Amino acid sequence: MDLATLLPFLVNVIVGGLVLGFVYAIIALGYTMVYGVLQLINFAHSEVFVTGAVVGFEVFRILAPNPMNGYLKLLIALVSAMLISGGLNVLIERLAYRPLRNAPKLVPLITAIGVSLILQDVLRVIEGFQGRFDLTYTLPDAFGVKFCAAESSCVGVGNFLRTIGVDLQVKDVILIVVALLSLTVLNYVVNRTRLGKAIRAVAQDRVTAGLMGIDSNLMISATFLIGGALGGISGVLYGMKVGTLNAYSGFEPGLVAFTAAVLGGIGSIPGAVLGGLLIGVIQKLVSVMSVLGDLVGSKNLATIDDSYSKMGAFVVLVLILIFKPTGLLGKSNTEKV
Amino acid sequence: MPEATLHRTPTTTEMLALTDVHTYYGHIHALKGISMTVNEGEIVALIGGNGAGKTTTLRTVSGMMKPKHGTLTYQGQNAAGIPAHIIMGRGMSHVPEGRRIFKDLTVRENLEVGGYTVTDKALIEQRIQEGFGFFPRLKEREHQLGGTMSGGEQQMLAIARALMVNPKLLLLDEPSMGLSPLFVEAIFDIIVKLNRERGMTILLVEQNANMALEVAHRAYVMQTGEIKLSGKASDIAQDESVRKAYLGDD
Repeated sequence: MDLATLLPFLVNVIVGGLVLGFVYAIIALGYTMVYGVLQLINFAHSEVFVTGAVVGFEVFRILAPNPMNGYLKLLIALVSAMLISGGLNVLIERLAYRPLRNAPKLVPLITAIGVSLILQDVLRVIEGFQGRFDLTYTLPDAFGVKFCAAESSCVGVGNFLRTIGVDLQVKDVILIVVALLSLTVLNYVVNRTRLGKAIRAVAQDRVTAGLMGIDSNLMISATFLIGGALGGISGVLYGMKVGTLNAYSGFEPGLVAFTAAVLGGIGSIPGAVLGGLLIGVIQKLVSVMSVLGDLVGSKNLATIDDSYSKMGAFVVLVLILIFKPTGLLGKSNTEKV
Repeated sequence: MPEATLHRTPTTTEMLALTDVHTYYGHIHALKGISMTVNEGEIVALIGGNGAGKTTTLRTVSGMMKPKHGTLTYQGQNAAGIPAHIIMGRGMSHVPEGRRIFKDLTVRENLEVGGYTVTDKALIEQRIQEGFGFFPRLKEREHQLGGTMSGGEQQMLAIARALMVNPKLLLLDEPSMGLSPLFVEAIFDIIVKLNRERGMTILLVEQNANMALEVAHRAYVMQTGEIKLSGKASDIAQDESVRKAYLGDD
């Protein structure tokens, strides 16, 4: 085995892993932000995210015959998904979690699982009324074009990727661009704006934030709105990436993204991004293990196929919980006196 | 310091009035009918031992706790049970027990959050600079996380943060707790300065009764949820029982 075959392989793993990882990162942010303000694992986030995916599906489906620009359709899909998922998340908090604000932590956690199950069936019923179960995205043709397919249109990075055999479609690039934009905006809102500072103050010490004149309920709602909107974005991106999904499709990526949030340190925004990207790459690596096995001539490796890829994420989760329960960028909860 | 330069003459307009206020922690009857007033321009000290109800009194005033009975008025308006974030928007500031600065926000961000109800950005910046003027140490630590500072620095930050709204009424809970004598001196200087130069009304809870009575106009002595004694700070400081209990006299 030589470098010439291994290099494109590794680059493919990393690029493909990052594409997947960005989706996980955006989902993970929804878990981590809510955890940050309420110390609650919002298990309903996987359905908030699937709701975004369903909204995206509907927008692309309804707009399919419309000759408008594909990117405009994408924008409409993203904005609709953000609004609906964000609004849904705010509603969930208001109806299901706020009445339990002072209950023992286990109670809202169980409620969250309940909300998750209810939403799965609500989504199924809504689509079922229209005779659909599996939803297949009808993306604009331009999104399926291989990035840099024609040599003449390739320059710079694109050309480099093509020559080393990286297989990217336009939609993958869209996905990375949308994810990076979302992260940039989120970073600005959280770190630079009055709203973001108030949310961080509430996350750290709700009572004292009240003494600063901050309405903590309003900030908690704002957090659910932002987390839900990110869920909406990630839903559309996920739908574009996997192509076909249904009302129950949120569970697995939700769990993987939750793992990513724990890996990075739950409650930490940079942690969620780092965790998402790492998990994406790890999954990709496991899923191509058989290819690597062929490359290096190992029969054992060659038997590890794609179906093991989720296991990779959960092995990481177990290891993290054993050796560094606070996650990579998380802080310990021990209070300084 | 001579009396005349120390004290601005307070008015007799009531800034804060509590009448027969009862507050509970669950089933624990923490305040058993507190009546007290704070006039505009006054420094009023609230002294007493551990568990006397001093902190609970401040928490009730600032809306962190809801009184079960009694009346509480702030600037002539009912303030009983109004949530803290609303009362704080009406010119009150509370430096809570244990400082409670935001450990994962920088010094500057702590101050910005303190000025949350101030919408004019230029005014926020002006007040941050004023805070740095009061506590030059904070300027040196501007971009450091609050949690990484020493106790004394955190206390400075907690006070500077409360001053971001230029409050009419400042509630201070144990500003000298755990501080070195040098810091205590500096903080009491600032309390006096705020009162004398800005006419800020201050309700001061202190275990360091000597210091508190030195700077206050009037004082209330609390014991097990009740007010045992009240009067001019200088008179309280001479009171035999107070001297024995709180001022370290044998």
